[in-house]
Amino acid sequence: MMKIKQKKINKSTVPLAIKVKNVTKTYILRHEKPTLIENLLYKSRNEIYVALENVSFSVQEGDRLGIIGSNGSGKTTLLKLIAGITKQQKGSIKVNGKIVSLIDLSAGFHPDLTGEENIFLNGLVIGMNKNEIESKKKLIIEFADIGKFIDAPLYTYSSGMKLRLGFSVAIHSSPDLLLLDEGFAVGDENFRRKANKKILDFQKQTKTLIMVSHWLEELERNCNKILWLEKGKIVAYGGTEILKQYKKYSN
Amino acid sequence: MFRYFSKYWFDFVWVMTLKEIKARYKRVILGFLWAILNPILQMLVIGFLFRFFIPVKIDNYFYFLFAGLLPWNFFSYTFSKCTPLMLNERALIQKAKFPREALVLSIVFSNLLHFLISIFLFAILALFVGYLSLFKIFILFLTIVWLVFFTVGISLLLSTLFIRYRDIKFIVQALTPLWFYATPIIYTRSLLPGWMSEILQFNPMTGIIELFQSVFTNNNLILDFHAIIFGFLISLLILIVGIYLFIKENQFFDDWL
Repeated sequence: MMKIKQKKINKSTVPLAIKVKNVTKTYILRHEKPTLIENLLYKSRNEIYVALENVSFSVQEGDRLGIIGSNGSGKTTLLKLIAGITKQQKGSIKVNGKIVSLIDLSAGFHPDLTGEENIFLNGLVIGMNKNEIESKKKLIIEFADIGKFIDAPLYTYSSGMKLRLGFSVAIHSSPDLLLLDEGFAVGDENFRRKANKKILDFQKQTKTLIMVSHWLEELERNCNKILWLEKGKIVAYGGTEILKQYKKYSN
Repeated sequence: MFRYFSKYWFDFVWVMTLKEIKARYKRVILGFLWAILNPILQMLVIGFLFRFFIPVKIDNYFYFLFAGLLPWNFFSYTFSKCTPLMLNERALIQKAKFPREALVLSIVFSNLLHFLISIFLFAILALFVGYLSLFKIFILFLTIVWLVFFTVGISLLLSTLFIRYRDIKFIVQALTPLWFYATPIIYTRSLLPGWMSEILQFNPMTGIIELFQSVFTNNNLILDFHAIIFGFLISLLILIVGIYLFIKENQFFDDWL
């Protein structure tokens, strides 16, 4: 089964997972909280900050893309745009398939609801439907290793348990594209091994992975494509040889 | 990824509403009983207060008062809770793409449940007194539908504006009591000078509250079709503007949080 899928990759007609075309994302910079009164009294003197400028690239299905660049280069903005959390001012982004971002794992939980109720809530937020959650509930609970706590309200959970539950819901939502932000680390050594294995399984299914990281060895090991961003523009896009250029540049 | 009014969309609104209701009574001993006890206690206190300490010459003042207070409370609780809602739920908004209007709708529907319980209890009372008829219940139903749509409209509008202008919260806090007194809840418009009464008919809550009052009391003189027509048109306008702005802006909410 896997071999057949591997063959598919080598053909030149691999379908696109993501197509980003001429995308520009700007933010309005404000130094204090915005208010209506102020807006009515003074004409706006807002600075515009360009986070991404005319960025175009495409990712094929099964690609494992690593995004690099110094702080403030637009990496997280790009992830957010791909995930649909925010929207670009210009250009277009096309995503084929279901996308799940592991940007903030413990987000989307309600402290007063039980683990089980939170699985429903979190699952729906990341795009699973009710039946899907119902059928995978057992797997999710088992993988997260929450035990008896599943019927306890979430405020009784340790932060590690919340992360594990968040990761378990996300990975069981059977996404076609997985987004990993930098600093992604889950739970203790044991769980991290389990999580990494899940992500490897995910890659083997020729699903698309996009990760942001400053840890170049990790990217070298996990990615087949590298996108280098600097000040909102693409410096280079290609294979892992870009990592060497980036290393030189950083030093 | 999702469409309006698809099955996923309805599921989402439903689960969010259940979450709202469950979370409110989760760590409380009497649990859901509070949803019933709260309006009863409030009725007793305010009824007592107005009946004995503040003499107003309106027949069946107790019924009259509650017919207006219950919908007003639903309305004002909901929009004041929805105003800063996107900021309070920023963790969800920054996590994924999902139908954000469900956040607003879940507040509206969970408050609606409480409102319907109170209205039901109140209607039993009114049945005993003999004020309710089948036709009046039909009018009551239509009025509640109107009230819910207006509440949704203003909640969407305020929650969208709040994202950009954080002082909206204080403006809403300051204006809500004024709006309360500019709505004939504790008085009837017949007690006001004519020009004032005419201004109030442009307040959509005037028509809504007067419909509630005429359903629950015997006083048909309260009804004024001008207030109903103007109120309906204005609330429709607010609903359209609210939906339009929310759909346009909700993709960019994350930029402002």
